[in-house]
Amino acid sequence: MATRSQGVLDKMTKESGVETATLKVFRYRPEVQTEPYVQEYKVPYRRDMVVLDALNYIKDHIDGTLSYRWSCRMGICGSCGANVDGEPKLTCASFLHEFKGKEIKIEPLANFPVIKDLIVNIEDFMEKLDHIKPWIIRKEETPLEKGEYRQTPEELEAYKQFSMCINCMLCYAACPIYGMNEEFLGPAATALAYRYIADTRDQDHEARFPMVHDKEGVWECTLVGECSVACPKGVDPMLAIQKTKILGATQILKPPRRGK
Amino acid sequence: MTRENAPSKYPEYRKQLGPGWWLSNQRYTLYMIRELTSFFISIYAIIYIYQLSLLASGDFSSYDLFVRNPATIGFSIIALFFTLYHAVTWFSLMGRIQVVKLGPKKTATPLQAIAINLLLLLIVSYAIVYLFILR
Repeated sequence: MATRSQGVLDKMTKESGVETATLKVFRYRPEVQTEPYVQEYKVPYRRDMVVLDALNYIKDHIDGTLSYRWSCRMGICGSCGANVDGEPKLTCASFLHEFKGKEIKIEPLANFPVIKDLIVNIEDFMEKLDHIKPWIIRKEETPLEKGEYRQTPEELEAYKQFSMCINCMLCYAACPIYGMNEEFLGPAATALAYRYIADTRDQDHEARFPMVHDKEGVWECTLVGECSVACPKGVDPMLAIQKTKILGATQILKPPRRGK
Repeated sequence: MTRENAPSKYPEYRKQLGPGWWLSNQRYTLYMIRELTSFFISIYAIIYIYQLSLLASGDFSSYDLFVRNPATIGFSIIALFFTLYHAVTWFSLMGRIQVVKLGPKKTATPLQAIAINLLLLLIVSYAIVYLFILR
């Protein structure tokens, strides 16, 4: 019975079309050697397998020393970003069959310092997220019994897409401005700042102006637009940056804030 | 933004962007061409100021010689192409950034926005030409 079911499994595997992918994976192991190198792995795959599955296969069956981040496998956690074939992608959303017939180059996210193999240092990004005050600022909290803060569908629409960011940092890997100047606030942090600036429940939009209109803020952006191409969640960080620029430019026409 | 650049606690590998980074992907290349347009536009502006100075000094024969020079004409054509490229890419970006409203609930698609922007450009250009030349 066991052999028969094995036969069925083999047949199913055959029908589903197992092929072999060649992965050229960037390796950086400072404890072994100071310079990075490229290691080649051959991985069997079916049509429904993604690059992350291949990395997991390598880790389980070929080379346990390979290091990379991942968690949810379904484009929600934003942990598994890497440069796949030169483009920043979520490895859980890049199908292996799309690269059929060619070697797949897997590198850590560009523009970030590499700690080990595909793992990059994300401290800089975390600091930036915290820096732009990513929460609703109320001048006065309304008591709970007075009910919720209500918004019209149009008011929701003004910021909704920017709240879909999963902090995967693909936009930073795609941004040459960030690549040349690490101090640049960058796409995702500005998009998040704009998400709160555009939210009608927030009562002090200008609290974030010193950060977004800083020397290294939105004015560093020269409209490359690659951040919006790279985003796996359909967020348009370039749009958020330009809208923030408009807010800053029109700010000069407004009367100065009272009491400050 | 000001951050403290504390030295790393562990060895890290940093890859710098090389001078040819903008050739690695077609969209980067198109972006760099758009950036490059400013070079041609600024040279054209200098030539234009020179032409105006010739006209202002009343030296019409040198002006005539200068504008009929094949090099001037050639450069003007190249500058025109770069300016048009900049204008089209700029308007297509503007269509996304400054949303054009077509009604209380309807906004223009990026393509419609380019069309509206280009139409406005033509109207304004015609108005300027009319005011200074045709009138």
